[in-house]
Amino acid sequence: MIPQAVLAGVTAGETAPPAPGANPEDHTPIPNAVAAIESMLRQPRRVLHQLRQPQSGRLIVTMLFVAAVCSLIYGVIVGTFSGGTQLWSAPVKCVAGLWLSGVICLPSLYIFACLSGSQARLIEVVGLVAGLGMLLTILLIGFAPVAWIFSQSTESVVAMGALHVVFLLVATYFGMRFLNAGFSAHEDRSGGGIKVWMVIFVLVMLQMTTALRPWIGNADTFLPAEKKFFVSHWLDCIKQ
Amino acid sequence: MSATTVKAQFRHIPVLLGGCPDALKDWAARWDTSRLFGYALVIFAGAGLYGAAMGYWRSPVQAGYDLVKFPLVIFATAFGNALLNGMLAALLGLNLRFRQSLMLVLMSFTIAAAILGSFAPIVFFIIWNTPSLAGQTEISLATYNVVQLTQVVIIAFAGVAANVRLLRLLELLSGGRRVARRVLCAWLAGNLFLGSQLCWILRPFIGSPALPVEFLRPNAFQGNFYETVFRAIGHLLSS
Repeated sequence: MIPQAVLAGVTAGETAPPAPGANPEDHTPIPNAVAAIESMLRQPRRVLHQLRQPQSGRLIVTMLFVAAVCSLIYGVIVGTFSGGTQLWSAPVKCVAGLWLSGVICLPSLYIFACLSGSQARLIEVVGLVAGLGMLLTILLIGFAPVAWIFSQSTESVVAMGALHVVFLLVATYFGMRFLNAGFSAHEDRSGGGIKVWMVIFVLVMLQMTTALRPWIGNADTFLPAEKKFFVSHWLDCIKQ
Repeated sequence: MSATTVKAQFRHIPVLLGGCPDALKDWAARWDTSRLFGYALVIFAGAGLYGAAMGYWRSPVQAGYDLVKFPLVIFATAFGNALLNGMLAALLGLNLRFRQSLMLVLMSFTIAAAILGSFAPIVFFIIWNTPSLAGQTEISLATYNVVQLTQVVIIAFAGVAANVRLLRLLELLSGGRRVARRVLCAWLAGNLFLGSQLCWILRPFIGSPALPVEFLRPNAFQGNFYETVFRAIGHLLSS
């Protein structure tokens, strides 16, 4: 049987990370959005512990609010490449895309968690997804100055699109680490199901970038008239 | 049935999916009408939603038909083979009452339906990103293959997960792997045999753009699934 420490990503010879709640600081409630952001970056176990408490609804709403605001801000940065209508449509699509990806994938995450033997309740799973979204969007804000500089200094739509996708994938990686840590603390028998779900979530997000195009560049309509899978769309863009 | 009872039954679904051996063994041993009702609700909701997502590719009307037909295939298979499954279990060395074997089969179908239902939003999202079949007589092969492959992978995953849980439960009840495997194989053979024909009768689930959207084809009760497969093999070999 694989020890829990190894499942949580700790190699042999290292001590296992303490469980959420083991540190007395984890028990301090998270009162507002600023505290939530600080805790997510510096004390993620505190967030995980608070999500397991009975009154975690307020924290979840706070995280969703932070994710929405950060998405809006990053969306404005995305829209500065083309300007015009993209300055409002890109932020709207950022928020909508993130929320839709989360909502579409949430039921399958809960099922995978149950199949893996996790003791997480549905509200805790919602909280972990909210945490993933918040950490993802916080990191995108961190990338925002870099994205803005590139968008002001290049005219290539393909290059800017690729850069935003890379930032999204890097931010998603850290969000997934938080999610994985959350499930490891819930005594999963195996992390295989959660890993499969992570792949599904990334694929849904990548497809969402195509379903809600254009993000950069201009178009006559808010949403695309033609339906495409994201690989086909990217290949078409590269060929142009 | 009170709302509290229904709520309690839904709380059992994570336990069912997690495969807690003591709880499942206890549930399999006792006939509980409220739990049966809970399973029926999950099967109807999960399989129905998945069927609707699948059928939406053809049209919203097809989605509505599949909302009913997909769970109907599952219920008809479970109840149609109930007597046979009960008898086979006893003959193969697992001493189960008729109600217990029916409960076990329904539990495994409930697991599969819960998994399918959870993937319904993803399937709907994929279908939404695919050109609709309505009004088209030609669909690109790549698009068709992507949708087809996605359906196969998801349905196969749900089936495998449900049968792995069922196998573990049969091992607990029989006290041995050999008897459990024989019973599972026998039940699978019977359910696949009947289920295939029921899918044939209740077709279409997606449908062809060249044919109208119908609940059942006019020739639903003429011919059968296996005849069609043999004819197709014959044509392939003779071409």
